[in-house]
Amino acid sequence: MSEIVRRRFLQGGAAVGAAFLFPAPFVRSAGAEDVRTLILYNGQHRQTTDAVVQAFAEATGILIAARNGSSAQLANQMIEEGDASPADVFYAEESSPIAALSERGLLAKLDDGILRQVPARYAAKDGSWISVSARCRVVAYNKSMISESDMPASVLDFASDAWKDKVAIVPTSGAFQQQIVAVEQLHGRDKALAWLKGLKENGRVYNTNNAAMQAVEDGDIATALINNYYWFSVAREIGTENMRSALHYIGHRDAGALVTVSAAAVLKSGRKQALAQQFVAYMMSEEGQKVIAASMAEYPLRRGIKSPYALKPFEELDPPDIAPDDLGDGSAALALEREAGLA
Amino acid sequence: MSLAAPLLRQAQRTPSWLLIGTLVPSVLVAVPLFYVAVRSFEAGLTGIASEIFRERTFDLLVNTLTLAACVTTAAAAIGTAFAWCVERTDLPMRRAWRVLASLPLAVPAFVASFAWSSFHAGFESMAGAIFILSLASYPLVYLPVAAALRSMEPAFEDVSRSLGKGRWETFFRVILPQAGPALGAGALLVLTHMFAEFGALSLLRVQTFTTAIFASYELQFDSATAALQAAVLVLLCLPAAYGEMRLRRKIGVARVGRGSARRMAPVRLGRWRLPVFLCFCLSFALSLGVPLLILVYWLTVGFSAGRGHSDILPAIGGSLSLAVPGAFVVVLLALSPVLLSVRHEGPLSRAADRLPYIVHGLPGLVVALALVFVSIHYLRAFYQTVGLLMAAYAILFLPQAQSALRASIELVPARLEEAARSLGRRPLAAFMSVTVPNILPGIGAALALIALELMRELTSTLMLAPIGVATLATEVWTHTNDGEYAAAAPFAALLVAVSALPVYFFTRRSIGIEDIQ
Repeated sequence: MSEIVRRRFLQGGAAVGAAFLFPAPFVRSAGAEDVRTLILYNGQHRQTTDAVVQAFAEATGILIAARNGSSAQLANQMIEEGDASPADVFYAEESSPIAALSERGLLAKLDDGILRQVPARYAAKDGSWISVSARCRVVAYNKSMISESDMPASVLDFASDAWKDKVAIVPTSGAFQQQIVAVEQLHGRDKALAWLKGLKENGRVYNTNNAAMQAVEDGDIATALINNYYWFSVAREIGTENMRSALHYIGHRDAGALVTVSAAAVLKSGRKQALAQQFVAYMMSEEGQKVIAASMAEYPLRRGIKSPYALKPFEELDPPDIAPDDLGDGSAALALEREAGLA
Repeated sequence: MSLAAPLLRQAQRTPSWLLIGTLVPSVLVAVPLFYVAVRSFEAGLTGIASEIFRERTFDLLVNTLTLAACVTTAAAAIGTAFAWCVERTDLPMRRAWRVLASLPLAVPAFVASFAWSSFHAGFESMAGAIFILSLASYPLVYLPVAAALRSMEPAFEDVSRSLGKGRWETFFRVILPQAGPALGAGALLVLTHMFAEFGALSLLRVQTFTTAIFASYELQFDSATAALQAAVLVLLCLPAAYGEMRLRRKIGVARVGRGSARRMAPVRLGRWRLPVFLCFCLSFALSLGVPLLILVYWLTVGFSAGRGHSDILPAIGGSLSLAVPGAFVVVLLALSPVLLSVRHEGPLSRAADRLPYIVHGLPGLVVALALVFVSIHYLRAFYQTVGLLMAAYAILFLPQAQSALRASIELVPARLEEAARSLGRRPLAAFMSVTVPNILPGIGAALALIALELMRELTSTLMLAPIGVATLATEVWTHTNDGEYAAAAPFAALLVAVSALPVYFFTRRSIGIEDIQ
């Protein structure tokens, strides 16, 4: 645990203790109101956030207190909070929760200097948020159950009867939802709906991406539609050489090769706008991007930074031409999922 | 010998401190109901109709009811059978089993379900979920039923046997009806718990209303769908709470003082002694051994082992700093409704007493969002304070505290307090000096149980705790979420270990083990 986090914890702990010693347990802890402390709502994997928060504090001396949670739950919380949100910065694992905040006018515009750090397609069109790192939709498959040569050319093929009980899907995952939007934008609504109905008929529904990835690794099911980093997190835990599963990259500009992103934004209601912009700028700086790239198996988006992980080169992914901002907040996909009986 | 008789209920004036004390938890519990209603009506009448009459809603209804009914039945059967064996038979090592049988409470359901699902994929099914959750929740029935069996008047059974009734008939016609309220209360807790269960099911491929509510909040923003699904859950809890209330009303048994209960000769199990003993060993191995083994396995195979060790002490500190004061707040709030419903029975006091059970079927996420909504709009200064988190804890866990308190409060006759009043004490002073000392065991048991529940609470702690506070449960969540099972293992093991203390204390208190030593 970093020194800053420890200090914050001790302050928090002392505040909690003091609050119960004195008959005023309902006062807001003073530490959070500190002018030099930024409040971050964090939906990104915590080790990544901890790393970048610590590096930022070392570089600038500015402290950050983080509220951790799932990106979508935090977004729902911020929508309930509205103007009264204590959050200064939101760092989301996926772009749709942040797009939802943008649609409700809760985000401030990022400085142009920050937006210029990435290719234009990776920033929101209105400049309200920026993509921090990217990952790719893939097919994870169990090597002893199926060979890579039997993989279909398109993710649409998984809906056919030939794949009955052979493909794991996670309809409640934000990334799967974005994949639905991609299918709809590439092939139209009718085809997307037919695809989902086929997946409901033939696929097996899992409640979380980790559970689906584990099922493939354990040989319970042959394939799963997931993000590439779920495979890398299992590999990091049990050793790459012990992996019984592998990743298949569909490529060919297919919806199965969609690139999705994590994203960051500054809240309009925050009282520390300049500091918040400074933190997002740091996340997108050469130094910040290196820290982020080292902490997880995702592609850093700032030009010229390479991931130290053995990822398939970003240029070879051959994704469909759909920018993160085009994916929106995923409500179109939800309507489709509901019609297909998946949600 | 103690005297069992229907309690004489006198039409006396209810003290105002009791009314106010009951009003506070009722208002708190009404907050999520208010929120669910407001958000549901935002969908409009046609929206509500189209949401309710969907095939998906029907599927979820079938799943939720199947899971809840099967787990409740199984937990009630196992819990009652265990309680009877431990309290009334010559089961080997019965004194040890008295505590061991309740220890599965210390294992969080999501740890158990992870253990079983990584054991074999077959457990990731409705049947598997019923198996895992029944094993995890039977102590909620075992504890109150065992306590009821211990405090039961043996004379009734003697009378039954002397009238020529067999053991089975005596069990079903004399023992079970007396244990009915305890069994009913335990079963209601399990049932509503199953409505709200999320952590275990997220790994088990079973979809219920609660998993659907979490999904709605994952996929949708300011969602009316989630609110409507929560409204359905509340409607499902209503008949269960009402049924339990009826059950309680039919049998009003009380006795004066704890008496000098005559020890009953234990039933000889004979040739069943060994098989029954093996059953106990098996259930212990399944409910506690397997989850602990899997934690050891995580530690040994994972490369993330050792990561975050410096977070361990702060996490223990965080858990205790929230769970201990939280337990006091929740138990304090639970006292008034129970007292009111026991001492001043009437439709209103019964409703106030049952209201928390209706909300108990709601997942923590809905309760937390309701408190965000209400405090942002009406009580902004409270937002993200410990006070608000305590309110969430109270809404989530009042029923458990009420159940733990009720048994001991029912045993204290109102006449004791009236005697103190006749000697000139004010109502509150009479209560403090006469009733409180008599119900201390119940208060201790309730504190232990709530501290246990608060230590594993996750969703509302994540949303409402003061920023920067981490607990054992949030650390387990963080690490398993990132697939770092080895890093999660010590936190999960500590969670089990730290939980075992309150379970042990709770068991001793609520079954009254001190009595026999």
